[in-house]
Amino acid sequence: MKAGKLRFAKPNKYWVESSHKRYVPCAGDTVLGIVVDSKADNFLVDIKGPTLAFLPVLAFEGGTRRNIPKFEMGTLLYARVVMANTGMNPELACMDATGKAAEFGPLKDGYMFESTTGLSRMLLKSPPCPLLETLGKKLAFEIAVGLNGRVWVNASSPSIIILVANSIMKSESLSPVQQKIMVDNLLQRVQ
Amino acid sequence: MKVNKEETRGELVTPGEVLGKSAELKAGKGAYVSPHNKTVYASLTGFRTLTYPLPDSPDTRPTVDVIGHKAHGAVPEIGAIVIARVTKVMARMASADIMCVGPKSVREKFSGIIRQQDVRATEIDKVDMHSSFRPGDIVRALVLSLGDARAYHLSTAKNELGVVSAESAAGATMVPISWTEMQCPLTGQIEQRKVAKIGA
Repeated sequence: MKAGKLRFAKPNKYWVESSHKRYVPCAGDTVLGIVVDSKADNFLVDIKGPTLAFLPVLAFEGGTRRNIPKFEMGTLLYARVVMANTGMNPELACMDATGKAAEFGPLKDGYMFESTTGLSRMLLKSPPCPLLETLGKKLAFEIAVGLNGRVWVNASSPSIIILVANSIMKSESLSPVQQKIMVDNLLQRVQ
Repeated sequence: MKVNKEETRGELVTPGEVLGKSAELKAGKGAYVSPHNKTVYASLTGFRTLTYPLPDSPDTRPTVDVIGHKAHGAVPEIGAIVIARVTKVMARMASADIMCVGPKSVREKFSGIIRQQDVRATEIDKVDMHSSFRPGDIVRALVLSLGDARAYHLSTAKNELGVVSAESAAGATMVPISWTEMQCPLTGQIEQRKVAKIGA
C-alpha cells in the first residue's frame, strides 16, 4: 500500500504514482544492477530490491556454454527484469524479448549515482523531460536510467559528467519550467 | 502383549551401560542380556524406563527399556507419505521442511526438495513453480529417494499429493476450487497451486 498521486488514463485506467528510494522488482522493468557474486548457472546481481536477482549466464545475445561472459564483482549492468514473483529471487536478462542485445550489458567508465524511482521515471518519459532536452542541446553525454533508482552518466570529460549528474539530482522536485530555468542558469555559468 | 501398570522414567544411559542383573530385570526395547555374565546392558542412548508387570503374571521381574532419544522418532523412508511446509520456491525447485511422516510427527528437522519435474505427472517441462507452491504452504508429498546430504527428494506427482492447506495474500486459509486453483474466502481472489485431491 503506497501513498501518492492518483493518475488516470482513458478509458478506464487509474493508478497511484509515488516516488521511493526503495525498488520493488516488477517484470518488464529495465534496471541497473551491480554484480555481487557468480554461481554455476547465474550471476547474483544487486538491483536495490528486497533480494538479490539472478542473471542466467546464458541470458546474453548469442550466449552459449562456450562464451560465458566474465563479470567481476562490482560490474555495472543494464538489464531487463524477466520474472519477479513475491518470495522468489527476480530473474534478469541482458537481452530483449526477441533475443537481441539492444544496449543491454555491462556499462564501462562513466559515473553511477542513486536516485528515487520517481526521478527515474521522469527521466524516462517520452517526449523527453525538459532537463535532458536542454542539457542534450549543449553537451554531449550518454545516460542510462534504471527504474530501480540508479542512473549512469558518461561523457568525454569529468566536468561534463559532474554537471549532468548534479543537475539531475537537483531536479527531483522541480516542475518542467523550473527545470529548464535551472539548466539554463547552470550552462550559462559554465560556458 | 502384557498390559503393564506403572512406569517410571530414570536417568540418561548410553550404549554399554549396565542396567541391572538379569535375575532382577527383563530386557525391553533398547536393552539386551549378555549371556555369560547375566547382566542387562543398554544398546541405545536414551532414558532408562522401568515397567512393572501385572501382579498376577508368572514373571515378577520389571522390564527395563531405553527410550526417549530423538533418534527414536519418525524418520522418512522411501515411499513414505510425508507432510511438509514449503520454505522456499525457486525457478526449478521448491524446498520444504518435513514435519510428519505418515501419522507421526518428526522429532528433528528433515529437509526435502521438490524438483520441477516431480511436481506433477503431465507436461513436466512446462511446470511454473510459482503457480504450484508458495512459501508457507502445507503439502502432502511422497519420498522419492534419500537425495543428497542436504535434503530428501519429494514428489507431488499424484492426484492425492500436493498443497493441502495454503494462506492467501490477504492472510486467510484458502478453499480449493480445482486441482490448479484455490480461492481466498475474504477477498475472492483466486491463486494458483498444485492442489491435493482429498477424500473419495
